[in-house]
Amino acid sequence: MRLLSWWSRRVFSAAVTLFLIAVLIFAASRLMPGSFADVVLGPFATPAEKAEVAAKYGLDSSLPVQFWLWLTTALTGDFGISMISGEPVTTEFGLRLPVTAELTLLGVGAAVLIGIPLGVWTAVRSGGGGGAAGRLAGGFGVSVPEFVLGSIVVFLFSRYALGLTVGGYVPFGRDPGGNLRAMVLPAAVLSVFVIAATARTTRDAVLNVLVEPHITAAVARGESPGSIVVRHVLRNASIPVLTVLTTVTAYLLGGAVIIEYLFNLPGVGSYVVQAVGRRDYAVVQAGVLLAAFVFIVLNVLTDAVAGVLDPRFGTAKGKR
Amino acid sequence: MRIPRVLPLAAAAVVLAACSAAPRATPNAQVAPGYLALADPAVTAGGTLDVQMTVDNGAATGLDPQLAEVATSWQIMSLVYETLVTVGPDFSIQPQLATSWDTPDPTTYVFHLRDGVTFSNGRAMTADDVVGSFERLLGSQSIWRAQIGPVRQVSKVDDRTVEVKLSAPYEPFLASLANVPAAILPMQEIRNGSLDLATTMLGTGPFVVESHRQDVSWRFTRREGYWAAGKPSVDTVNITIAAQEQARMAALQNGSADLVTLGNVDSPRLVQGLPGAAVATQATTDFYYLMLNGNAPGGKFADPRVRQAITIAMDRDTIATTALGGFGKPTGVTPAGLPGACDPARLPSATSNLDQAKQLLQDAGAENLAFQLTIFNTEPAPAIAQVIQQNLARIGITVTIEQLDEGSWSGKVYGAAPATFDAAMSWFAGYADAGMAAKWWNPEQAGFNAGFMKPDPALNAKIDQAIATSGPQRRSALQDLCAAVDTDAQMIPLVTRPALVGYRKDALSPTVYATEGYGNVLRGISDFRLLTK
Repeated sequence: MRLLSWWSRRVFSAAVTLFLIAVLIFAASRLMPGSFADVVLGPFATPAEKAEVAAKYGLDSSLPVQFWLWLTTALTGDFGISMISGEPVTTEFGLRLPVTAELTLLGVGAAVLIGIPLGVWTAVRSGGGGGAAGRLAGGFGVSVPEFVLGSIVVFLFSRYALGLTVGGYVPFGRDPGGNLRAMVLPAAVLSVFVIAATARTTRDAVLNVLVEPHITAAVARGESPGSIVVRHVLRNASIPVLTVLTTVTAYLLGGAVIIEYLFNLPGVGSYVVQAVGRRDYAVVQAGVLLAAFVFIVLNVLTDAVAGVLDPRFGTAKGKR
Repeated sequence: MRIPRVLPLAAAAVVLAACSAAPRATPNAQVAPGYLALADPAVTAGGTLDVQMTVDNGAATGLDPQLAEVATSWQIMSLVYETLVTVGPDFSIQPQLATSWDTPDPTTYVFHLRDGVTFSNGRAMTADDVVGSFERLLGSQSIWRAQIGPVRQVSKVDDRTVEVKLSAPYEPFLASLANVPAAILPMQEIRNGSLDLATTMLGTGPFVVESHRQDVSWRFTRREGYWAAGKPSVDTVNITIAAQEQARMAALQNGSADLVTLGNVDSPRLVQGLPGAAVATQATTDFYYLMLNGNAPGGKFADPRVRQAITIAMDRDTIATTALGGFGKPTGVTPAGLPGACDPARLPSATSNLDQAKQLLQDAGAENLAFQLTIFNTEPAPAIAQVIQQNLARIGITVTIEQLDEGSWSGKVYGAAPATFDAAMSWFAGYADAGMAAKWWNPEQAGFNAGFMKPDPALNAKIDQAIATSGPQRRSALQDLCAAVDTDAQMIPLVTRPALVGYRKDALSPTVYATEGYGNVLRGISDFRLLTK
């Protein structure tokens, strides 16, 4: 019963949040100076031409009416059509999501497979020089902007390719080898940040757990260090790690914009940014809403998983 | 082992920093009169050409060539569509779908159509297609309707001959027919509804579209049955849309693209030393100009003396050398580089000095003028704006630069009438005849300028005269036109805009004009030869 009420609260607040974001993004996109007709038809267009385009896409009715129409059709899964390509927005996103999803998968994979073990390792050995080196590398990893690292990688690998390609994305289904050759570098650049952030959070979380009394007790009982880490530390440190993984996943799925631009990958992020520039409203609205949706769903799921991992979390938190 | 790899980068940065103080680069040498590069016909035909460009055809009007207004659309559409005539490297008018034409009197043009021309669906092109294409253009919302001039009647003489009657002599007529919006369309298919031009391209040109994903890529294949024997040379053209300059640079460096368009005026130096890569610095007739809003709040530019003082203070040479890396040329309203273009050094503003400019400001009671200059944030606009700011500081005018994204800029400059900005900067396509761009100086014809520009009957008369005059009098008519624009000074021409084309010398033998009128870097694509593929 308690669980049910927790879920209904979370779903309700998620829905309200999404609605508010929908209002906000709709208002923001329409308040931008320069209309679709100004931008895409260009300065040469006559007022009659602009009016024709506005009427074609329903941009001539009042904003509340436009919002209501958009919202009600969006609820049926129809997000309108891109004014640039004339294709349904869902089709356009369908074409671009696999790119972003693959990038996300590679990034999160690196975080889990490299970031977490690295964090645990640096925490356990925090006394030695390895800890200092780890902190330095971690600090570097989270603070070097992606466009700097990405630009260097693009520069170096376009001269010394080593079998990898910069740009030239091909779908995995058509040419798996070519796809990986194109995705390795952008994924690697993204991973530097993702791994560093995960490793840092893991390290801090593990260190916090290590000073707790029950660890001291376990050490006193004579449990082996390996078993202490696996049985006590990891379980207790997992919640902050889970949170950072969620944030990172949402960030990646929302489109690691700069990486997609730098490496010319036809993903969701660069697409939405381009749409902002051209006032392709339906695409901007759907893109922001999608990013918000992913973020909210991931957060709800994280809380739920956290509740399972640690009963003090989740349902109890929901009651506050 | 990481450090040694970073070193070349650091070294490159140092070299770059040093270069910016060095003398500016000079445009490429011509390999033949009017050409920066000429494809070698001895190279075996065939292969796949990989091209990367900045933007896709971005028109809300879709793929309809008659409604295409910008060079990026023309570039792509020119692979499929062709016009009656075309322009040579010296801006002479050359045959394309018409093999010849007669001008029995200054208002009559008779075109003799080429035999054996078919559309890519196999149907032969007829005089009806030509007449229909003209009529469709004249009845459309196309901006090109204004450029093809006072066409009164188009009629079919016989199956291979079409006659066009003008209501007044119009010198740029043939040049205006040499651009994509004047393409000959398959009118039979359009009329019977089997073809929607907004979504499908079907023309007489060398290539057909195999696939297209908006903002991602195009794939064109060589067309069987094309009228020009042995053309095009390449089998396939892939065009990748890469918005980021860095991505295009990388593709040029690693050879995944054979040809890329570049925006950075420093790219010729960046590419220097890259084995196998080259940059052709093509001159174009497009030019940057400064808009002074006659309706500006506070009446800042209502007095022509204020505007004239600003024109006098413009240092076009510094803009060309500093902001455009030496690749631009000072210009009047007739784009520098076009036959008959006026000499910018002989304009009233160029022969006046800064003291006279200060005096004009004083006479107008505008000594401490301050205004905002609204520009878009893509290079080299910010660099040009800074030079303008420094130029005007010399006569005591304070300029604040406002950088906007292109959409916001467009909304501010063209979104409201009367317009609310002070001053703004932009560029016009210069086209292929010296009188064509001047049409935009008549806000009664170019409605998009009416929000900030007041019609000047004297200037309008000069425009009309320049485009009606042919023969030996034309040069002086064009010089008069430039002087009238210079005096009016509501839109002040500054310098021409270069186009930078990067290509792989080791993979591609291209044909590139030294000066381009319609912004089409792919103009010679039928002749391109691939060396390695």
